[in-house]
Amino acid sequence: MNRRTAIQFMLAGASALALGGHRAALAQQGPVKIGFHAPLTGFAAADGKSAQLGAELAVAQANAAGGIGGRKIELDIIDDQGKPEQGVPVANRYIGEKHPVVVSGSYSGPTRAAAPVFHGASVPYISAYAIHPDITRSGNYVFRTSFMGEVQGRAGAKLVGEMLNKKKVVVITVNNDFGQALAAGFKEAAPKFGINIMKEYFFGMPDRQFGPLVASVKADNPEAIYASGYFFNAGPLVAQLRGAGVNVPIIGQEGYDGQKFIEIAGPAAEGVIITTSLDRDSKVPETVKFITEFEKANPGAKVDMVAASTHTATRVAIEALKKAGLTDRAKIREAIAATDMDASTGHISFNKLGEVKKAVQNQIVKDGRWRHHSVIDDPVLLAPPES
Amino acid sequence: MLQLELTIQGLINGSMYALMAVGLTLVYGLLRILHVAHAGLYTLGAYIAVLIANASGSLLLGAAVAIPAVGLAGMAVYRLLYEPILDRPPYVALIASIGLFIVMEEAYRLVFGPYGETFSTPYLAGRLAIGPIGAKGAEVLMVIAAFGLLTLLALLARRTRFGVAWRATVSDPAMARSFGVDTIKVRYVNFFVASGLAASAAILVAVLNNLVEPTMGSVPSYKTLAIIVLGGLGNVAGTLAASLALGVIEAFGTIYIGHLLDRDAIAFLFLVLVLMIRPQGLFAAK
Repeated sequence: MNRRTAIQFMLAGASALALGGHRAALAQQGPVKIGFHAPLTGFAAADGKSAQLGAELAVAQANAAGGIGGRKIELDIIDDQGKPEQGVPVANRYIGEKHPVVVSGSYSGPTRAAAPVFHGASVPYISAYAIHPDITRSGNYVFRTSFMGEVQGRAGAKLVGEMLNKKKVVVITVNNDFGQALAAGFKEAAPKFGINIMKEYFFGMPDRQFGPLVASVKADNPEAIYASGYFFNAGPLVAQLRGAGVNVPIIGQEGYDGQKFIEIAGPAAEGVIITTSLDRDSKVPETVKFITEFEKANPGAKVDMVAASTHTATRVAIEALKKAGLTDRAKIREAIAATDMDASTGHISFNKLGEVKKAVQNQIVKDGRWRHHSVIDDPVLLAPPES
Repeated sequence: MLQLELTIQGLINGSMYALMAVGLTLVYGLLRILHVAHAGLYTLGAYIAVLIANASGSLLLGAAVAIPAVGLAGMAVYRLLYEPILDRPPYVALIASIGLFIVMEEAYRLVFGPYGETFSTPYLAGRLAIGPIGAKGAEVLMVIAAFGLLTLLALLARRTRFGVAWRATVSDPAMARSFGVDTIKVRYVNFFVASGLAASAAILVAVLNNLVEPTMGSVPSYKTLAIIVLGGLGNVAGTLAASLALGVIEAFGTIYIGHLLDRDAIAFLFLVLVLMIRPQGLFAAK
């Protein structure tokens, strides 16, 4: 290297440093970016939309209250289409962008694939409502603000066997990780509440016509039905059960949670009870504020579990950034782990594994609306696994 | 008794498959195209019907507009998508068709939103029963519609001059043309009828589920492809039989082996088994 090239080299290096420094300075004045992925297209686009609205509301509320250290917050949104194979590329993009924290507003498929990648890069990652148990087991940078399927399944068993006192039960399970986890929890806790599971049926997520299943359930003549599934399965299922003259209580879970279920099932929805995360009749100021501001920001829309859970997850992320700053990921992780606050889904904190600890809200359909039915606040029954 | 109910439910589902699959097999018979976008037209029929029914309060009006409108849309798909690429190898049309189907699904989502549409007043929800055996009004109508419309189609093909021209075009287009058959007209009518049948199936499914979603065509899109293969590609009677057989097998399968295989897996297992024994399909075209 002769002298001239050496000087050129040094100059180039210095200007690169100066430019880099300039960009860093810009970033400190620009908005704080939080990664957020959800299924905005494809089969899960309805939940993806609710998730996005919930997250955007959390950001808008935080920005109205001054943002983080005077800086505005922005979501960096990616559509993962609900596809597992999108999880890793989405994670790598966010890691490349160096966002301080990432929220998943998606299903278990992409979230489960992305979680180990985030943990490996020490990027705090919060799953809003994906329920697969392996998600938080990916490592201690991964958290979840909704119930694991098993936990909610156990709550369902208490609701059916103890609170409603129904013992002969047919279980109808949507055949994916969501339904299987719920059914596992329900079956695990069933003996404790004296429940005799007469039969378990399975259906696929694309199913809307349940004629054969309904005919068979009718012949079983159970005292109650515990059915998992999403609103687009549950709406037709409940309508078809009632249409065939099956009039026993139907107990669902958070997959039903939304006004669309009631629209689809129509009058047949009346009296259906679910275990979920959002209490519409809550007196908790944080929940009341969430419901009013959500419905003000989105005229014509009704809050649902997905929007509430995603709102909660996004708020957990924002609060942690406020406490721990934007640069030290380990500190941000600790701040999330130490979360202890009232959120739209009730009072929450995390256990050692990063699983949420909170009460289960039971809602019932009355006069075409989701209403308060009861609360299950039993820390032993609802204890998520510690490892 | 349960077995009888399962058979009835199977026939109801089979009727829906038949309305959908017959159109598909007609297109295949005429142009050797696997018309995946058929399922996109199906969804279009449901959307038009639900929007008009909710605006006017009449499901009948919704159906009366949706069926011919989707028929015309089917003709447009032929003219704008398939006709320009008919001289290419068949997979070109297949890829174009899959592409159009994806575009249609996402367009429905963008225009009508991801949550789906429901009827503001439920139609045909009452239960018709003979003794303990019964079905919903919409389910009964599904069977009646399938048999009625497909009988009409058979009469059209067998008893009319146009039907003769149609069948001639299917069996040998060049020969038909040399006898003065307007084969282009046959293609348009073919797409009109096929798409209209799909729309009528979609409207009945929409009423039955009280839900019209952007993705409601995705399961029928591949399942009806399996059905027309089973039926012997291009064979209308075979497709009809395969539809009903698949409906009944799924109905029993969901109840008795549903814990092992889901409904779609049962359908495809049946397809695999049949093709292992009869590679030409249950009923070969020739």
